[in-house]
Amino acid sequence: MTRLGHILKELGRNFARHWSTVLGSLMSLTLLFLLFDLFWIAAGTSQSFYDRLLADLQMEVIFSEELEDKVASGAADEARTLEGVLSVQYISKEDARAELSRLVGTDLLVGYDSINPLPRSMILTFQPGYLTSTHLGQVEAELRQVKGVDEIFYSRDWLTKMENGTQLIQDAGVVLGLLILLAALISSANNIRLMTQTRAIGFGQMRLLGGGKFFLAAPFLLEGLLVGSISAALGWAVILYAKDEVSFTQFDIIIPQLKDVGIFVAACGVLGLISGYLGIRKLLR
Amino acid sequence: MSTHNVVELTNVSLKSDRGDQIFDNLNLTLESGQSVIITGEAGAGKTILVELLTGQRMPHAGSVEMFGKVISTGKKSLLRTVRRRIGGVGGIFELIPSYTVAENVAFPLVLNGESRKGRREKLLRTLTDFSLLKQASQYPSRLTRVENTMVQFARASIASQPLLIVDEPAAGLDPKSMDWIYDYLVKVSLSGRSMIILSSEFPVKEIPNTECLEISNGALV
Repeated sequence: MTRLGHILKELGRNFARHWSTVLGSLMSLTLLFLLFDLFWIAAGTSQSFYDRLLADLQMEVIFSEELEDKVASGAADEARTLEGVLSVQYISKEDARAELSRLVGTDLLVGYDSINPLPRSMILTFQPGYLTSTHLGQVEAELRQVKGVDEIFYSRDWLTKMENGTQLIQDAGVVLGLLILLAALISSANNIRLMTQTRAIGFGQMRLLGGGKFFLAAPFLLEGLLVGSISAALGWAVILYAKDEVSFTQFDIIIPQLKDVGIFVAACGVLGLISGYLGIRKLLR
Repeated sequence: MSTHNVVELTNVSLKSDRGDQIFDNLNLTLESGQSVIITGEAGAGKTILVELLTGQRMPHAGSVEMFGKVISTGKKSLLRTVRRRIGGVGGIFELIPSYTVAENVAFPLVLNGESRKGRREKLLRTLTDFSLLKQASQYPSRLTRVENTMVQFARASIASQPLLIVDEPAAGLDPKSMDWIYDYLVKVSLSGRSMIILSSEFPVKEIPNTECLEISNGALV
């Protein structure tokens, strides 16, 4: 307990004596983590927006004119068995006419009582995990093998572009995240190294009197842990405050769950702990 | 009661980084309660001997045994334990600049895990004994040379460390302070603590139960 008390006292002493260094470290880390948080939110929000758009994605399959109703509806049954297919809606020629009539009114269809040029078709929707260009491409290829399938329409190009865009955001996020974490690590470690250098003689004496490595390092490790986690928490506090002040009507901002934020704060604390170790490492040799 | 010797240097040889021979088959045995004064010219290796005894340097040959434990293996946990049993004054022993006098003096008790109450009592007693109560909250940079030495003596005594190493006890002190220090060393010698005093010249006052040795040509004679 005495040693723990001493370690905590040393921590307080570090904060009090080097308050400007600690404050500088806290502010720079908060800004770095804030940047990371903003990118996290932007990535989450764009992903949510993309998911919403994706959920409306359908595949329309047009059957050839010569195909009999019975065969076409059989093809629809076959499509239901394909992997990832959520629903299949078979649209007969009559259903198509009724739908067109509902959309454009009956006046335009005058004279087409005995003729129905509209094709039989089916509309496929997919389970969320299967809405990828790769999977839809496979489904398309399988459907093209089905007898009587004439045309297949879905937003193929749009999907590919969105997927590429999302992948780009993810890759950029990983690179940016790593750079930010590296910058935070170096910045925090340098600040701690700066503090320890002014106390090199004291450390030497403490070791000469029997002070162990952990005993000497603990206040700095704790400092790294605290500065890291407090900075991360401050970053989120700024965001939560700003979120209440700003409102968007076009889309909702997706804030990560509290549990994930907690994990992030803890991870930043661990990052601070590592930076504390890096800062004091040379002195303990 | 422990039967181990406080210090046991056996055939210790040490070379400097440049390859000069500092110690050649150096032997020293100090039993519990025994004291020794080691004299030698400047550069004879007195401070290096202290570094060997505290495990700051490792011999190239021979062994250094402190309190029955061979520290020349360089095992860190062993070094910590041994260093906590040594009180040091002068030479490589300095005060911790960022600590107040009270914190410097109480530091060995903190390392020993002494309770807050016990620490406070011992600190008060020691500061009183060494007339340092007024300076308790001052930092080393504000102390005079004499006060600095007094604080080192206080720190070297507060935890009743079994071995006291004093490197050049009289260096830079006025006659009155030297008198006080020699009186204190006599008291330590009579108390049963072991003591190693390193000095360039023979002490002006005789310290009882103390053997006199000289470092010459890398050996103790």
